[in-house]
Formats: sequence, C-alpha cells, structure tokens
Amino acid sequence: MAGGGGGDGEPEFQIAPMIDVLLVLLVFFVMITSAEVLKVDKALTLPISPNSKDRPKDMAKHELAVNLRLDRGPNKALLVLDDKIYQNWNEVLPFLQDRKKADKLLRVVVRGDAELPAGEIQRIMNFIGQAGIDDISFAASNK
Amino acid sequence: MKKKRSHRRKNSSEVNLGFQIAPMIDVVFVILLYFMVMAGDLQVEKAHNLKLPGTVEPTDNPVNLPDEIAIRIEDDGQVFLNDDPLDTPELHLLPELASNLNQLRISSEASKATVLVTVYANELAKYQRVIEVLDALTRAQITNVTFQAGAPD
Repeated sequence: MAGGGGGDGEPEFQIAPMIDVLLVLLVFFVMITSAEVLKVDKALTLPISPNSKDRPKDMAKHELAVNLRLDRGPNKALLVLDDKIYQNWNEVLPFLQDRKKADKLLRVVVRGDAELPAGEIQRIMNFIGQAGIDDISFAASNK
Repeated sequence: MKKKRSHRRKNSSEVNLGFQIAPMIDVVFVILLYFMVMAGDLQVEKAHNLKLPGTVEPTDNPVNLPDEIAIRIEDDGQVFLNDDPLDTPELHLLPELASNLNQLRISSEASKATVLVTVYANELAKYQRVIEVLDALTRAQITNVTFQAGAPD
C-alpha cells in the first residue's frame, strides 16, 4: 500500500504509510473492544470488585463458566450451563464429573448475579465439591 | 478516432468519480476515536480464585496451626470481624475491615504464623456483599480463605 518516496529531495508527507498506521490502530482497538465484550454475559449483573484479579490466559482453556441468574420471584438462582437452564441441579453433577475426568486442571468460574442470596452460592459450591472439582473462581466486574 | 478518445476523457474528468482520500481519512479518524474512547470505558470480567478444602495433599512435615479469624455477614450486609461490627452496610469498600485484616496479617507474619479467615455468610446475605468481603481480603493480602454458609457454631 505504501509508495516509495524520499530520495535526495526534502522529506515530504506521505499519505499512504499514514493510512497504514491508522488502519493498524483501528484494527487493534476494534479487536480489544470486541474481545472484552464477548466475556460479559448480559443476562446477569456481576458483583463489582475493583481489586479482583485478571483471569490468567493460560487457564482459559480449562475454564467452565457456571452462570447463576437471579429468579426474582422465589429469590433463588437459575442455573445456566452451556446456554441450558437446569431446573434440577442434580442433573449438573454427572456433567461436572465428566468434565473433571476429561480435564484434570478444570476450573469452574461461578458467574453469579450480585443480588443473589449467599446461600445459593454455597449450594452450587457443594455441587462443584461433590463433582471432585477443587478449583473455583468467582467472577466479578471491575466497575 | 483520436478526437473521440479525447472527448471521452474530458467527460470522465468532469464527472470526477475518482477515489477521495481525504474523506476516507476523516471517517477512519472518527471510527478510531470511537474505539479508543470505548476501550477506556470497558467493563472487564475479573475473578477471585479459591481452592476448595479437603483435597490438600498430606505431608510428613509438621504443620503450624493458623490463626483463625471469623468474618460474619448478616442479611442486612453488616460485617462482623470476630463478633465486632465493622463498617456500615452502606459502605461498599469496607475500609475498617481491610485495615483490621491487614494489621492482623502483619502481626501474624511477625509471629511466623499464617492467617486463616473463615467467611460465614448468612443464607440471605447478598452475594455482592460476599464479594466485597473477598475484595477487602485481597487488599489485606490474605490468601487463606474458607467459606461457610450460615452462622458460626
């Protein structure tokens, strides 16, 4: 895209390399914006924790997200796993056990709604513990 | 023939369908500016990691028992550190809790002991409040944390 120029004459403004740089910058910002947005589930409001840590990139392939939406009527959690809503939480147990067998480094990321009662978080932690998974992460938003 | 060609060229230059670089740069600048502003205001998902108890490998070395601290979270969001109420339920950053925990960690490190914090969250306490307590623990650099639902025995 960039053309030649320079030579023995005075340095002159080149439009083509400037466009190259502009497009690279544009692609960079588009990429980081869309990559971060994809990680946020809009169906639930994550609790805010400014001092929570970044999730390590090398663990990304071992992570399994367990979404707990708030069911405001009974004030209970709605368990969503791989876009499927589970009414009976016992059905999740064999799934978690299979995932643990397949991946020894499995980490469950609990993505709970900020308004959920703490008892519901304890309930899912019991299921995760029963499946033999010891590595848990609580997802939170930075702002 | 030559006359016809020159006539065609003249027409096309009058219409001026050529590619305009200046408006394209304007548009690219606006898009770039938009994404730069958006990038600064991004909501990023982060996490608090913890290991569930009961899977620690047994060792032959003697283990020093840690100094145990209990944090209780009531339904209304009031936080108690070893039965002492700290901060009000409206305070999200829990500054008193964080500074008390930090002092406890420093004194425990001085006596070469580790601090173990158990968080007792009431069944109806908000999950947001639990995360705020975890946030205060992170600020106090305390890493040994266990969870318990319901009041301490």
